[in-house]
Amino acid sequence: MSGIDRTRVPEPGEVVAFEFPAVQRRGLDNGLALLTARHGQFPLVTAVLVLDAGAAGEPADKAGLAHLTANALEAGTRSRSGEELAWALERLGVEFTAEASWDAVSLAITVPRQRLEPALELFAEIVRQPAFPEDEIARLRDEQLASILQRQKEPRALANDMAARFIFDPDVPYARPLIGLQTSVAGLTRDDVDAYYRANFQPAGGTLIMVGDIDPDAAAALAERHFGDWAAAPRRAVDFHVRRRVEKTTIFVVDRPDAVQSEIRIGDVGVPRHHEDYFPLLVMNCILGGAFTSRLNLSLRERHGFTYGARSGFAFRRQPGPFIIQVAVATDVTAPAVREALREVNALREHGATPDEVSAARDYLAGILPLELQTTEQLAARLADLAVFSLPDDYFQHYPARIAAVDADDVRRVANEHLRPDRLAIVVVGDAQRVAPELEALGLGPVEVHTIT
Amino acid sequence: MSLSLTVETFALANGLRVFVHTDRSIPIVAVNLWYHVGSKDERPGRTGFAHLFEHLMFEGSAHVPAGAFDELLEAAGAVNNGSTTPDRTNYWMVVPTGALELALWLESDRMGWLLPATTQEKLDTQRDVVKNECRQSYENRPYGLAWETLLAALYPPEHPYHWPTIGYMADLDTAGLDDVRVFFRTYYAPNNATLALAGDVDVETARPLVERYFGAIPRGPAVPRPTPPPARLAEERRVVLEDSVQLPRLYMAWHSPAFFAPGDAELDAASAILAGHRSSRLYRELVMERQVAQDVDAFQNSGFLGSSFVVVVTARPGVGLTELERAVREALASMAAAIEPRELERARNHLETSLVDELQSVAGRADRFNLYAYFTGDPGYAQKDLERLRRLTPESVRDAVRTYLVDAPAAVLSVVPAGRRDLAAEAGTGR
Repeated sequence: MSGIDRTRVPEPGEVVAFEFPAVQRRGLDNGLALLTARHGQFPLVTAVLVLDAGAAGEPADKAGLAHLTANALEAGTRSRSGEELAWALERLGVEFTAEASWDAVSLAITVPRQRLEPALELFAEIVRQPAFPEDEIARLRDEQLASILQRQKEPRALANDMAARFIFDPDVPYARPLIGLQTSVAGLTRDDVDAYYRANFQPAGGTLIMVGDIDPDAAAALAERHFGDWAAAPRRAVDFHVRRRVEKTTIFVVDRPDAVQSEIRIGDVGVPRHHEDYFPLLVMNCILGGAFTSRLNLSLRERHGFTYGARSGFAFRRQPGPFIIQVAVATDVTAPAVREALREVNALREHGATPDEVSAARDYLAGILPLELQTTEQLAARLADLAVFSLPDDYFQHYPARIAAVDADDVRRVANEHLRPDRLAIVVVGDAQRVAPELEALGLGPVEVHTIT
Repeated sequence: MSLSLTVETFALANGLRVFVHTDRSIPIVAVNLWYHVGSKDERPGRTGFAHLFEHLMFEGSAHVPAGAFDELLEAAGAVNNGSTTPDRTNYWMVVPTGALELALWLESDRMGWLLPATTQEKLDTQRDVVKNECRQSYENRPYGLAWETLLAALYPPEHPYHWPTIGYMADLDTAGLDDVRVFFRTYYAPNNATLALAGDVDVETARPLVERYFGAIPRGPAVPRPTPPPARLAEERRVVLEDSVQLPRLYMAWHSPAFFAPGDAELDAASAILAGHRSSRLYRELVMERQVAQDVDAFQNSGFLGSSFVVVVTARPGVGLTELERAVREALASMAAAIEPRELERARNHLETSLVDELQSVAGRADRFNLYAYFTGDPGYAQKDLERLRRLTPESVRDAVRTYLVDAPAAVLSVVPAGRRDLAAEAGTGR
């Protein structure tokens, strides 16, 4: 056995076709859809309720309201105080999570199969009969304000918030943090929460997902029992136009005196989830900054040693979310890091990618899909994508073929179309006194210095 | 619920122990390799080396050119990474079934043939990457230096848990290629490692492949182990750290029993009863009722040479840490008086759920097999781990709280905004 030729790379064998679990769809009369899939070898079930109640529909002066409302569900129901509710959940070994994104509010539990019935009953009570006690809402609002304060001292969170602020026009919801602003959250009241809940938390347009050790008939019976008599309301219309803040590349330095590192975000308005270039963009981004061996990481980390890691990505939402390159570097290499990152962008635009790179990126993207479907929560999250973006139930069955269809011409075309060095918002959170002059000298565009108080 | 997962084990002549677990539900295999070396095996003045070395393991070996390790794996549709703790270093991959042989070739090449490919230039680049990791994860992050400050207060300077795993940056500068060679030959030997394969694979397939790729790697010399005297605090230690933070935060730490030793599971349960959940004692009192804390957390930080029990409380704006420390001590004293059965039931449910969550993925299972093998000698310990939780009683948890927390001195760290030492926890708030 010591006689093997170690110089021969074992070729990966034929990829075994992966069968995405079959998705069963049912619907309740009130408009709530039900998606189920069997999964896993433990007796567990994950239930996720996806509601069309995302933060993109918040009133502009009430930023952070969707987040507060989702959190406030656990503050108690008409028949149980928050504390009684916590005991009831924890006695069943259930963690209830509530999360507001731009496009949806997702409420979830994962529970052993034998405790599913009582857990789902409690889940329905939390979602359908929240009491929103005044003092609890005030407490949760104050916690949210304290979290906003903390974000201002956390360079990564601050850089993400500032990137959103400088990429989007101030009128676009995406320009604000999901958690809201000091000014908007400070004024939120119990009535705001209650009104947001009544207008948005309802079955029409929503989807209940049940994944794991459960069959579609049992799931349908449970859904009917706990959500069948939930009255529907008219669906809201969320309508806004996404515009970028700057039409010419601009550098925004957010000052953190004496910072040892600069958090860099290079961003632009990206594309909506339903864009025809979705798959070519996934492959293109994988080559640019979506994997460890991407060009940005190889250049900035492995070649230059500037950083612990560099990456890029599109945030796909119903409306165009941001495209962002992100990297944290030592203060003294801030300008060189920006220059190198843009060099990689320009090279991809001018010369495209090699056929080998394109094929490696395709195989990587298709290969990691099953890796991310190992737990009931992971599969439920994929089904939630189907719900939020109205994708067909067999979408993931066709995913590998859609990835495989992308070629080098597509990659080069979408790089040119969607990576536009002339209209970027370049955000640097760092020591302005040290980095602003060097950034100015790059000649990329005007430099604005901002201070966060 | 039963967690008996079938694990088949075999060993190579060079001492490598291998664990195989079959689950064919998805055509992927988790490949997880533990080396029994971590920052506890370093010396004062030479800290951070185990972790820096981990970085070099991805930079190519004799038959794998620089950069090819990640390129080959990503192009095969696989993910991989590694991590270093005080106790161990792990390397993990999750690969499509057809790439198992590639994975074993790559993993064995860096176990057997790393040194011919390791250069001064690679060492220098990875040293820079690690320094950036340190800035990003610790220095440029609120509360980022709290953990190492707390450990330094809890353990004496010569104890292997005194220094942070990422090391002191000045120490990294002293690391040269000779250190790389000595470290590799001492610790990166098959007899100091265990390999777990979980997923779409069986022992009949695995064994010849493992033999083929790892069989020729020679056994290393006997591995030296640190044998510090058991750590204990003679008296309370108090430290204040000014940091770029908005909210003051209190950290308290006590010495506690080692991973899987009697008392370890009791303190896991105690942490869930004390904090971290909406019905836990400190959360109810400090976050919900008095509203003086933003969040509270507690955990048993289980380790090979001993553990630490840690409580973390973040104050609401303007709240001083003295009153938070008093509340923590009162809560612990009341737990040392009595634990309600329903509190233990809830804690046990939570711990069981966390364990099952971790075992859902083949990657989580493979890592657990190695963890159990290292700390208990039995890779298939999952069911016994569950039984360990089921044997807990309110009395055993109560007694552990009294012995290890109430009747023992703590290291107390206050992290406060710059210039606000007045918010730090003051001595004299104890029993």
